Amino acid sequence: GDSWGIFTFLCAALCNLPALPALNCSEELGAGQSIQQTYDLTRYLEHQLRTLAGTYLNYLGPPFNEPDFNPPRLARAERVPSATVDLDLWRGLTDNARLAANYRAYSRLLCYLRVLDGQVGTAELRHRLAHFCASLQGLVLSIGGVMSSLGYPLPAGPAGPPAPPGAPTAPNDFLKKMDDFWLLKELQTWLWRSAKDFNRLKKKVPPAVVTLRLEARGF
Amino acid sequence: EMYMQYERVGADVTMKCGSMDWDAAVTWTANGTDINESHLNGSYLILKNVDLSQSGHYSCYEGSSWHLKYQTYLRVGTPPKEPVLMCRSNNYPKGFYCSWHLPTPTYIPNVFNISVIHGTKEMVCEKDAVPKNRCHIRYLQLFSTVKYKVTLTVTNALGKNFTTLTFDEFAIVKPDPPESVVAKPVPNNPRRLEVSWQNPSSWPDPESFPLKFFLRYRPLILDQWQHVELSDGTSHTITDAYAGKEYIIQVAAKDNDIGTWSDWSVAVHATPWTEEPKHLTTEAQITETTSASTSSFMAPPTTKICDKGAVVGSGAVAVCWTAGLVVAAYSVLFI
Repeated sequence: GDSWGIFTFLCAALCNLPALPALNCSEELGAGQSIQQTYDLTRYLEHQLRTLAGTYLNYLGPPFNEPDFNPPRLARAERVPSATVDLDLWRGLTDNARLAANYRAYSRLLCYLRVLDGQVGTAELRHRLAHFCASLQGLVLSIGGVMSSLGYPLPAGPAGPPAPPGAPTAPNDFLKKMDDFWLLKELQTWLWRSAKDFNRLKKKVPPAVVTLRLEARGF
Repeated sequence: EMYMQYERVGADVTMKCGSMDWDAAVTWTANGTDINESHLNGSYLILKNVDLSQSGHYSCYEGSSWHLKYQTYLRVGTPPKEPVLMCRSNNYPKGFYCSWHLPTPTYIPNVFNISVIHGTKEMVCEKDAVPKNRCHIRYLQLFSTVKYKVTLTVTNALGKNFTTLTFDEFAIVKPDPPESVVAKPVPNNPRRLEVSWQNPSSWPDPESFPLKFFLRYRPLILDQWQHVELSDGTSHTITDAYAGKEYIIQVAAKDNDIGTWSDWSVAVHATPWTEEPKHLTTEAQITETTSASTSSFMAPPTTKICDKGAVVGSGAVAVCWTAGLVVAAYSVLFI
């Protein structure tokens, strides 16, 4: 209904990330170095998320802030591409696919977090969320930078409505909180997966290869 | 026909002699030994407040004919207490294992049943042949948002009990300790020890899932450990060892990003290189014929310093002596 339209509009407006120029600094350092920086960023964000999630779950109140809370995943349209993946499939991902999956996921997650930012009650929470969103934006840019420096095209931004039209937003307060809970869970899981993704990329992308590419492109 | 019965420790047990009347004359035996009539109530055998020692084979014979009328095997035990369950992934990302035990024995046979639920799916935990109280699970998916719920039920003839563990995939990651830890002195370096080790062999993919390490060392004579955390590589040179002191060294491992530290490795001992105390090689000592001294005599390491372009002569000897003194002074300074 109405709320769905507002939601879509908000998302489209907030998620209109400009086309990313390849970061000059990462090209100078080489993709190997910026992969390391991206890895470090995911670790930093993971650390930040722990505090943010704790505060946010307390704001949601019980049972969401109980450590044993283990709800079943409701059959609602999943908004964010899940980090969960078959082991062999994950191993076999090309560098491009691996980076693109991360890029898409964090772009979406950033979008949803920004919507959340507009809705939460306390000033402290708004401040924390804003800070986290800024860091998360940095991560998206960093991944974009790595992709550009390796010559990969950036995946198309989350332009359209993130979920098929007609899919309802949470019809009540409790289910809305559930959505928030799962959003934080997905974010946590992605950050933990990214550490492993970037570990793998670190080993597979030697700086020497990138230098050749840079030279070929006239830098 | 032999019966089997299980009774709780401390219970009162009444055994009937099969279909014999209460007032029939019978004799009971326990493991072949006659039981005193004072334990009988008519033809019933009464055992009050049974203890473990009363487990055994009980038989009832008709008084005069000595026909065997009834026999049973009594096992005294306890119902199971809440079992202790532990789950751990030492081979991430392959899977995890769970192991369990009872905090106190029941003295009677127990059956363990384990169930693993992941979201809505029930997974099969394959029991290990050895050790028996262990099963393992292979991950079908990685980076799961849904927790695993493991329930262990233990049942015996006297009761049942259970325990549950709920955890995230990344929370139970704990590698085995590093293997083949070796510590060696470094020649001509009285304050150094070279330590090297290997990834635990159970860790299947150190390339994609690198381990980081924690090294701790102390001289045997002190209680305080020194710590070094190493984010990569499987070797490290200690550069601040006290000269001449024997050290104890251990290493632990952890996945770079998730889980907890392994237990400490087996401890290794090493002493930093020291210059051999110089023996005054006078004519008298050389002519000494004790086999022990000649077989154990080692050229002092300082000869290496002197070997470089050494010229035989008193001048070179003086250089050797000076070098030796300097090293000795250096060692004394840092004890």
